[in-house]
Parts: sequence; C-alpha cells; structure tokens
Amino acid sequence: MFTVKNIYMQATDKESSGVSMVYPDAKKNDENSKLAALKEQGEKSSLWEIRTEEQDYAFLPQTDHENENRYGQKIDLVDLTGLPENRSMFINENPEVGCNPDRNKQHGFFFTADNCIGCHACEAACSEKNDNPAHLAFRSVGYVEGGSFPDYKRMNISMACNHCDDPVCLKGCPTKAYTKHAEYGAVLQDPETCFGCGYCTWVCPYNAPQLDPIQGQVSKCNMCVDRLEVGLKPACVSACLGNALDFGVIEDVPENREQAKVSIPGFPDPSITRPNIRFQQTTTMPDEMQRTDSMPVKYHKDEKGNYKPVVDQKQGKATHWNFTRLSSAENPLVLFTLSAQASIGAFALPFIGAELNIPAMMTFKASALYVPFNIFCFGMIFFGLFMSTLHLGKPLRFYRGFNNLQHSPVSREGLGIAVFMTMLAFNIACSLPANTWVMEMAAAIVGQDLVDYVPVELAATMATVFAYLALPASLAGLYYMNKCYRIPARPFWDHWQVGTSFFGNTLSLGAFLAGASMAAYAVFTEGQTQLIFTIAGSVMLLGMVAEAIGLSGHSKSMNAAEHEGAAAHYIQSTTFGKSYVLRNVVMALNILLVAVLLISDVSGTAALVLWAIAGSLLIFTALVSRALFYVLVIPTTMPGAFFWKNKGFEQHARDIGLANMPQVGVVPDGH
Amino acid sequence: MIFGRKNRKPITIPKKEVAEWKYSTCNYCSTGCAIEIGLDKEGKVVTSRGHAGADVNRGKLCIKGLLETELFESDGRGTEPLIRDKYHEDFKTTSWDHALDHTAEKIKEIQGKYGRDSFAVISTGQLLTEEFYTLGKLVRGCIGTNNYDGNTTLCMASAVSGYKRSFGSDGPPGCYGDFEHTDCFMAFGSNLPEQHPVIYWRLKEAKEKRNFPIIVVDPRVTMFAQFADIHLPITPGTDCVLLNAMMYVIFDEGLEDQAYLEAHTNNLEELKEVVAKYDPKSAQHICGIDEDRIRMVARIYAKAGAAMSIWTMGINQSTHGSDGVANINNLNLVTGNIGKPGGTSLSITGQCNAMGTREWSSCSGLPGYRALEKPEHREEIANYWGIDPSFFPEKRGLAQTDIFPAIETGEIKGLWLIATNPMTSMANTPRIRKMMEKLEFLVVQDCYKDVETNEYSHVFFPASVWAEKEGCHTNTERRVSITRNAMKPHANSKPDFWVFNQMAKRFDNGKVIRFPEKPEEAFDEMKHLSKGENRILDISGMTYDKIEAARGIQWPFRESDEGLKGEARLYTDGKFQTPNGKANLIAVNFFNNNEQPCGEYPFWLNSGRVVEHFHTRTRTGKIGNCNKFSPTPFMEMNPDAAEELNIQHQQYVRLTSRRGDAVVMVQLTQRVPRNMVFIPFHYYDCVNRLSLGLLDPHSRQPAFKQCSVRVEPVDQAEAARLNAERRTF
Repeated sequence: MFTVKNIYMQATDKESSGVSMVYPDAKKNDENSKLAALKEQGEKSSLWEIRTEEQDYAFLPQTDHENENRYGQKIDLVDLTGLPENRSMFINENPEVGCNPDRNKQHGFFFTADNCIGCHACEAACSEKNDNPAHLAFRSVGYVEGGSFPDYKRMNISMACNHCDDPVCLKGCPTKAYTKHAEYGAVLQDPETCFGCGYCTWVCPYNAPQLDPIQGQVSKCNMCVDRLEVGLKPACVSACLGNALDFGVIEDVPENREQAKVSIPGFPDPSITRPNIRFQQTTTMPDEMQRTDSMPVKYHKDEKGNYKPVVDQKQGKATHWNFTRLSSAENPLVLFTLSAQASIGAFALPFIGAELNIPAMMTFKASALYVPFNIFCFGMIFFGLFMSTLHLGKPLRFYRGFNNLQHSPVSREGLGIAVFMTMLAFNIACSLPANTWVMEMAAAIVGQDLVDYVPVELAATMATVFAYLALPASLAGLYYMNKCYRIPARPFWDHWQVGTSFFGNTLSLGAFLAGASMAAYAVFTEGQTQLIFTIAGSVMLLGMVAEAIGLSGHSKSMNAAEHEGAAAHYIQSTTFGKSYVLRNVVMALNILLVAVLLISDVSGTAALVLWAIAGSLLIFTALVSRALFYVLVIPTTMPGAFFWKNKGFEQHARDIGLANMPQVGVVPDGH
Repeated sequence: MIFGRKNRKPITIPKKEVAEWKYSTCNYCSTGCAIEIGLDKEGKVVTSRGHAGADVNRGKLCIKGLLETELFESDGRGTEPLIRDKYHEDFKTTSWDHALDHTAEKIKEIQGKYGRDSFAVISTGQLLTEEFYTLGKLVRGCIGTNNYDGNTTLCMASAVSGYKRSFGSDGPPGCYGDFEHTDCFMAFGSNLPEQHPVIYWRLKEAKEKRNFPIIVVDPRVTMFAQFADIHLPITPGTDCVLLNAMMYVIFDEGLEDQAYLEAHTNNLEELKEVVAKYDPKSAQHICGIDEDRIRMVARIYAKAGAAMSIWTMGINQSTHGSDGVANINNLNLVTGNIGKPGGTSLSITGQCNAMGTREWSSCSGLPGYRALEKPEHREEIANYWGIDPSFFPEKRGLAQTDIFPAIETGEIKGLWLIATNPMTSMANTPRIRKMMEKLEFLVVQDCYKDVETNEYSHVFFPASVWAEKEGCHTNTERRVSITRNAMKPHANSKPDFWVFNQMAKRFDNGKVIRFPEKPEEAFDEMKHLSKGENRILDISGMTYDKIEAARGIQWPFRESDEGLKGEARLYTDGKFQTPNGKANLIAVNFFNNNEQPCGEYPFWLNSGRVVEHFHTRTRTGKIGNCNKFSPTPFMEMNPDAAEELNIQHQQYVRLTSRRGDAVVMVQLTQRVPRNMVFIPFHYYDCVNRLSLGLLDPHSRQPAFKQCSVRVEPVDQAEAARLNAERRTF
C-alpha cells in the first residue's frame, strides 16, 4: 500500500546516504531551536496574540518536509506557482508578513480517526473564534457506527475545509469569491464577493462551504491563517481533546503517528478534489458502518478493505406519493431551467424551419404573429433568469455571475443565456419594421407611414443575423447548464441523462410551444396545419424519446451504482415511489400518443384536442421530472450526527416549530 | 491557474480586541480549568480562552468552557427580585430590601409556628467557596435550621461517605498527575470523554507518552469503553460483586500487598471473610463479566507497579454507592495503591465546586470537615463565630433527598433553594411536583428566572453568574483556584455572597457573627479555621494572589509551606484520619434492592450526561453552539429491541415506569444492550419523570441509574407537539 510513511522513510534514506549524517538528537535539537526562534518572533506579531505560556501542542512543529505530495505536486507553493515569497496576506488589512518559515508550503489537516471522542471541542473553538451563530459551522463532527453490542464501534469524523489541490469550489464559483493562496495553500472565500448562489456547496464533496440562508451568503473555514502566520496551529486543532486532530505541512506525519491514508469510512472519494487531509485509522472497523443521520447511505467494506457507500434502506420499501414535497427551495431553478429550455427550443424551431424553406414556417415567420411569438420566447427566458436571480442569497449582486468565465460552468451558462436573451431582444427590435401590425400601429400613433424613414430591408437582415447569433449562444448556454450539474460530488446528477433531459426538453417543450403557435396561426389563416403537426410533433417526439432514454439509462446506472446516487434513486423509488411511477407511465403513454398522432391521419378538431392533451402531459412530466431531479440529489457529504447535520432532524425541527428557537441551530422556513 | 488573483480579495477574520484578560476558573464541572476572560476597552466580554500556563488544563477547554463567552449574553437571566403570595399568581417585581425583609419574616414565621427545623435550605455545588462558607454561617449560625444540605447529595454524597468510612475523612487522595505514573488505570461508571473531557485529555496525553492498560467498567459502549484496552460491560448495580470477586482472586493468588495491609489497615480478616463468598465462578452470573475476565483484570491490577481507580456516577448514584466507593478503596488498600504516585482512589467530582461545598458549607456538619456530632468542633466554631455552641444541633439533620419527603409529610413547610433545580434534577419528579405545591413558602435563588423550579416559588432572588463575582473553587484533585471579578452583575442581580450577607443582617445572630463585606476576608476566616495539627484540609498558606500566580494550589498548603505548590497526594505516609490512623477495610455484602427489568417494564433505564450540556440546561440550553448538538431529549435504544416493538430511528416513543411517563426521540444504536435504554438527564420533564431514585443507606444519594421502564409507540404528531411545548429554551 502507498503510504506517506514509505515516502518519508525513502526521503530520509536519501538524505542520510549523502555526505553528512544527521543524528536523531541533533535533528531534534535543531527542531527545538527553530521552534524557539519562531515562538520569539510570534510573540511580537500583531496578527495574533499568542497566549501566555502557550503549550508546544499549539505550535506547528519545525520539522523537515517532503518536496512533493503523493500526487506528484510540489508542496512548496512558490516553486509551484512562481509567485513571490514574503507577500503579505493582508489579514484584516494588516500588512504584516507572518514569521512562519513554512508559510509558502501547502498545509493540511491530519485526522487520527482512532482517537476522536466526538467531544465537539474543535467545533466550539472554531465557532467561538469565527463568531459563528448556531446554525453555521465551518467544522462539524459526524459519525459512522457498526457492530453489535458490546462489539460495537463508533468512528467520529471531524471535518472542515480540506483546502484541496483541485478546489472545485473555486472553479465552480461564478463570482470569483474564492482564492487559493500561495500562503499555506489556503483556499479562502470572501463573503462580500459571494452572491449566495450556493453552487460551491453543491460541488464540494465535504460540505465545507456554508450557505447562510439568513445572511444570504457563503462563508467557510479560513484555515486560521492569522494563527498560522505566528506559527500556531488552527484553533480547532489546538482545542482537540482526543489528540485526534492535527495540522501541518501536507504529507508530514505527526509525531507518534504511523499512517497517513487519504480515506476512511464515510469520507468521499479523494480523487475528486485531491483534498489536503490525511488520516490515521488503524482500528479494525466492522464490515458495515451506518450513519445515524437520515441519509439512506451506509458504508460497506470491499475486498480491498476500502469502504464504499451503499444504499441503506432506512425508509423501508413502501412506496409513497409525497407529491407536495416535490415543491422545494429549488423551485426557482426548476422554473428557470424549464423555461429557458422551452424558450430556446421555441425560438429555434420556426426560425430554423423558415431558413430551411419549410413553407408553413416561412409563412409563420413572415407573419405579423412572429414578433409577438418571439416576445413570448423572450418573456420566458427573462422569467427564467429572473427566477434564477431570485434563487440567489443576494439577488442584487446578480451581475457578478459572469466573473469566473475562466472556470465556472455557472458563469458560462449565465453568459450563454444572457447573450441569447440579448440577441433575441435585438432580433425582436430589428423585426419590428417588417411587422405589419407594428407599422400600422406606429402609423396610427404618429399619423404617418414610417416605412419611408426606416431601412426595412437592412433591419430584416440584421434580425436574421441576430437570430443566427442567438442560436449558438443558446446552445452554449444549454451545454453549460448541463455541465453545471455534472458534479462528481453529486453522483445522482453526474450522469449523461442531464444532457438528454435538458436538450430533450428544449426540443419537446420548444416544439410544443412553437408548434401550438404556428398551428393556431395556420388554423386561423387556413394554412398547412398538418405539416406543422408533423414537423413540430416529430421534434417533440424526438425530445421526449431522448429524455426517456436518458431517464431509463439513469435508472439502470443508479440501480447498479455504489454511491449516493443509488441512495437518491432509492428515495425516488420509495418516498416518491408512486409519483415516480406515475411520471414514467404518463411519459411512456404520451410518447405513444404522439407517435400515434404522427402516423395516423387524425385531423381537425380531434387533432387539436389530442395535441393539446399531449402538450399538457408533456408539461406535467417535465415539471415532475425536474422537481424530482432537484429534490432527490444526495451529495457525497460527510456523515452527520443524530441532531447536528441531520437533514431529517432539520426538517422535523422546522415542521414542529423547534427551529424558531435560534439555539436549536436550524434555520426556520421562510428565509 | 488557480492560485492568486489580479485583484486581491480581502481576508476578514473576526478580531477580538482584548484590552484586559481576567483570570477565572470554569464554573461548569469539577475539572477546574483555568479560563481567561477577554474584556474590551469598555469592559465587555469579547472572548475567552483556556489558560495555557495552568497545570490542570494546560490551555485546553471543553465545548462548554470554550463557549463561556456566549453565556453572559444568554436569555432568561434574572434581572430583578420577584415576589408573589401564591405560586399560581403572577410575579411582581420588587426591591431587594423588600424581598429580603419578606423572606426573613416568612422564615421566622414558619420557624416560630412549626419549629426551627421546619424551614429547610438546599444549596448546590455551583457557588464560590467563600459563599458556601458564608451560607453555612447564615444557616447554621443565624437561621439555625438543621435541615440544610446541598444538591451534591445527588452527585458526590456516596464518594464523601465512602471516603469518610475508609479513610476517616473526605478528600480525594490523588491527582491528575497520577496518570503520568500509573501502570494500570481502571474506571468505574465514568465516561470521562463526555463528562470530563479535559481530564480525559490529560489521561490520553499520559497514555500516548507511556502506554498502560485502561480498563473501563460501564454497561454502555461509551467512547471511553470503546477506546479502553479492556471494557467490562457490567450488569447495572453489581459493581460490588465485581470488586469482591477481583479481591477474591487477589487474596486467592496471594497478590495482595501484605505489608501495607498490616501496617496501615483495620478489619482485614472481616474483609477476607466476606470476599471469600464471591468466587468469580458464581460472581460472573451476577455481574455479567465472565470468570476469565474477572481473574485477568484482578491480576493486571494487583501486579501493576502502581494502579489507580477513578469513578463517577456509575458508582455514586446507586443503592450501594457508598459501599461501592468503600469497596474501590478496599481494592486500592489491598493492592497498596493509596498515596503513591499512580496509585490512588480518585473520585471524579461532578459540579465545579462540589468540593468547596463539601469542605466549607457546613451542609453536613461544620466548616473545614468538622462534624456537628463532635462537641469540641461545635465549640470551636461557635467560639470563632462568637455565638453559643448550644445553638448548633448535636447531630446532622436531613440530607437533601430526605428534605423533600419531609415536605411531603409536612415536617418542612418552607424552603430556600440556591442554584439548584429539583423540578428537573430530582428522581421521580411527579412526586417532587406535589411536594413543591405543598410548600407554604419557597425562595428560589438562581441566575436564571426561567429555571423550572421557579414555577413554585414565592420569592425569586436573581443571582450573578460566576465571573460577575469573586472567589474560589476547589476541583476534583483538591486544587483551590480563583475566579477574579471580571464584570458587573447582570441588571439588578447580586452575588450570592451579598445576598447571604444581607439576609444575615435580618437575624439576631447576624448582628453577633461577623459577615465581612469582601470574599477574601471570608477566605481569611476559612484559612484560620483550616489550621491545626493533623488537619489535612489546610489552606492557611494560600492567598488570592498566590492562587492566581500558581493557577491553583492543592491543599493541604500550610502557612509554613514555601513556594506555590500544595501536596499532590494525601496519605502518602500511610496515616489516615481515623482514630488509630489506619484505613478501614469495609467488608461489603451485595444486596439487590434495585427495580429490575420485568415482564411489565422490560428495560433497564440508564441515564447520564452529554458533553454539550451541563446539569439541567439552564445555561447550556441557551447557548446555541452547545445546545444544537442535542436540542431535544433523546434515548439510545438497541435496534434489535426496537425491531421487536416496531420502533424506528428518529421516531418518538413514550416511556412509562411505575412513577410516570416521558416522551423522547429514539436513537437506535448498538451502543446499548438489548434490555437497556439510555437517556441524558439534562432535560425538563423527561427522564426523572420515570426514575425511582432509591436512596443509599449511608450517603442518601439516589440510584438514578437503576430502574425499569416500558417503551411504547406513540402518535408522532402528538409527541412532536409535546416535545416542542416542553422545550421553551
């Protein structure tokens, strides 16, 4: 097995095979004198007041370090980044540069799971230092347990931010609120930049960023960089009463510790972010470790001794409707995604159809109804964006959403959608001169025909240009909308069905809305209704089939999976079992109905009624599917405790009014 | 490139601008952690931290201590004295003078009508030592009731009683430093990581430096039991059987310290005779620990160079609590493990100043471990205070747990409760509620006006919390530590010291006895009374400044002692406080009078602490960062037992016992055996609606941890409503 101890030993061997021989005593003396020097400098610092007679356990040991971490990345961050040394971190705008000689090395936590007693001292020290109210915590202790009395074992896990090599929070944040510093490798977040979208809380596998629904912004562990600057370990580590939590330059194995693993039962797959945390866990644990919180996940030991999440059927096997619970705090996102997709599809179909010279579409595009129709599409996308803005903790900061085009799919999605909306608006504006209703109305108001004053031809050309520009922008928006949900820390989402659903709904909802408008126009003008039914119906069918294939593939994957996605699917099949089956049946029947409508020669009023039914069912299934998509997701978060970080208890406390007392630590509904 | 930004983002970390650090001692448990309270320029508390230079905690604090800063701003504090005629009427705000006058009048009236002892005073382990001493002067010297005791009867009475029976005096003989010397550590009914986390840390530090076996005796798989080298999941209430069987093995195999026994103990033969009846073969069927393990543990313990035992409520809170303590002392005497580094019998006390009340409050006698039963002690104290010795009763009156039944019988008509909350803390609260209703006059003195017992009071005295006062605590290892006054009392609350002084003025003897204005002057009186040959509780060498400089001094610390260090251990010379100077071996016969699980009530009901709460939650229930870890009552239950009853995780259940019922949320865990449930005792209207609390014959401490209950399903919506209604903080 690959452990740091091995690397550490090899490195020492290399050194000792060189010219000078370092004796252990001399090494210890050297470390002690370095520590003494650090203490002396730290005393003078204005960054943090060191306690009188501070104990050695609170200071970072002045030992030798590795050059590279186990993934082959340089630990010295000046070497890694080329950034200068001795930069001030300007903590609280204090320009002082800390005296810690290792300040440019990647640091991380070391957690001896064998020792944690679950006493909450780390959490309390953190909350006291950071003035956090009861409902927020940068560090939390949960646990897994297994065995049978008295052969029972509980393993407490204390977890905060792991200041990852690959900080998915930083990459995901659309506002660029996150910075990974060349000082300590700390991943710090600025709550004043944050607009409270909560996307970092989705992508982080460890539940490190904390979204405060009251403040409407995220905050997180700051690694106690103020303490680090004077050579002290973070407050949580210094407070630990089980000698479980430690901290230092990454890959250093603390004194009296013999192992440095990257995973323990309950800890998410470290390959997602390369977290800077190492574990010692030598005690043999039972084969199956359960969570006490409401998550239907437990951890099972595989043949290699690693613990994998599997479904824990906490809710039994009975199926329920729970239809009202489909409505959640994510409702704005349900509406945003669906209306954006519908808008994009609806706009695209008549435009592309007309450009392909399909007569019925050309007629529609040339008609006076085309501008109102596009205004309707604009209305939908505007409504969608408005909804997504409402979802923010600080909606007035919405403009910051484009700050991180470099990394964040949220920024790119936002840009795509915003460009689409803008192009659509220009398209509408430029389409006005060619629109007979508009011109007539304008003439009526102004009292003069405006045709002579407006370059109608040029405007029409520009309208086409803007429409052509809107199309790739919308596709990019859709693509990144899909990318937003391909999150490794949310395995239920991280599946190709997000793409089939999003693009499928674009086709099906768009085709239905555009088809309905065009059909209505055709009926009114006695045009080619049947052709519109055929074309729009086919596109609609294509979208529906794509979505259905995706959902079926998703269900198969989730059934076979060994991760939180499987647990989410279990909830889908039980807690929402009846609603889920209803959605599937309606979707299948609707596909059948549309297929039959397309191949049969039903026409006239019967066709109109049947297409209207198909469309209504489509909207119903789309809403239910999207609501399920958001309600069901189970992230790879750390195990919670019985009350704290237990979603089941939080919901219960809200339901019965306990949450109205702030000291319960649960934020009541309505924020 | 993920490092760096063109535009620097601000790094903002809350900065506490401390202008002055005030030295203090944590006011929760008995560990005695030194805390520094950080005040800003305006004198407002902005932060607190452990004192890194204090030997006890070496900078560490537990969750409660770490969050002491949040205490001062918490809800529910008493702001003004309150008064009313009947407990079912509304309170009216009143002046201190009127509240005190009225109370003094009522006390005199009741005493005049029904006799001096018909008014009882129940104190606590939460006050400062000078306050205990002053209260003792007031109650013993001025009010003159003999029914005066502390709620320490609920937690440490058995330890006191056991120590007195074995060694002739109270006073834990060991210290935390013993962890660094012991070769075998045995814990009986003690869950250090949850109850005394900082002591656990001291133990862990010692064990990481130098490994030694830890043996934990506990019916539950606590974290301590899980991390122990050997866990003995004992049948509740049978510790004496285990101890007797261990001693059987020790005598049988000749592992006892014969020289020590001969030189320093009485009653060896009697002990041997009784122990001989407890061979491991038959004992295993009673205590639930198999024969092999009993033998193994006995051998490890006896063969260790130095072995020590600690215990907490698992021993004290049982019908043989005092016997249990005596029997642990027996084990340590038999193996020669008293008064030597790493060899001791160390009770881990509950409340922050349980020791202070034991030493100085006169609850069970007279100040400085003096007894009412000894005429020379009565005379000594009466002379010092300047009153007639005949004012003192000739023997101790009722213990706290007997005072309540005396209300039931009508012997006691009036009661003064100081910093204690029997409506939550006493066993069988349905019975306590009826007693409270019967009182003609109840005074409640507490920092919090929402303390549940206040429901029945006629007068409420708002008291100050510890850092609003000044004085000392004594911790589990006899270390006297100081709390400096850090801030003014909240609103119109007053230090308990002031309240006692003012009350004294309203009694005849209060004009005779000197009641100094300053706590340190009271401390000087205690110092004077602690002097004397052969007196172990000697604090005469201490001053406030010396205590602060040393960050706590262990007693004995005599006037003649130099430096700042008291004696780490008692009885190092093998001389005890008994008439012949030898320790008493006390033969303990096991009897079983516990309410056992039966067909009707099939579960053992066990109770205990969680780390984030203290006692009846009056303080920690309001501190969100403590309370959030267990905001409502819960019950640990074995999943296999739950399955039989069709009970699910995180559901509510109703428990019934022969006393009453309670509704709790179920936490299924294999930490408890199939025939036991465990409920934290902190919650109002919860576990003590069920508990029996049979009393120990020697200590009068209730057996909180042994009774039987039934578990039944309950309507979830109704239960949830009830749970919310019962949690007003």
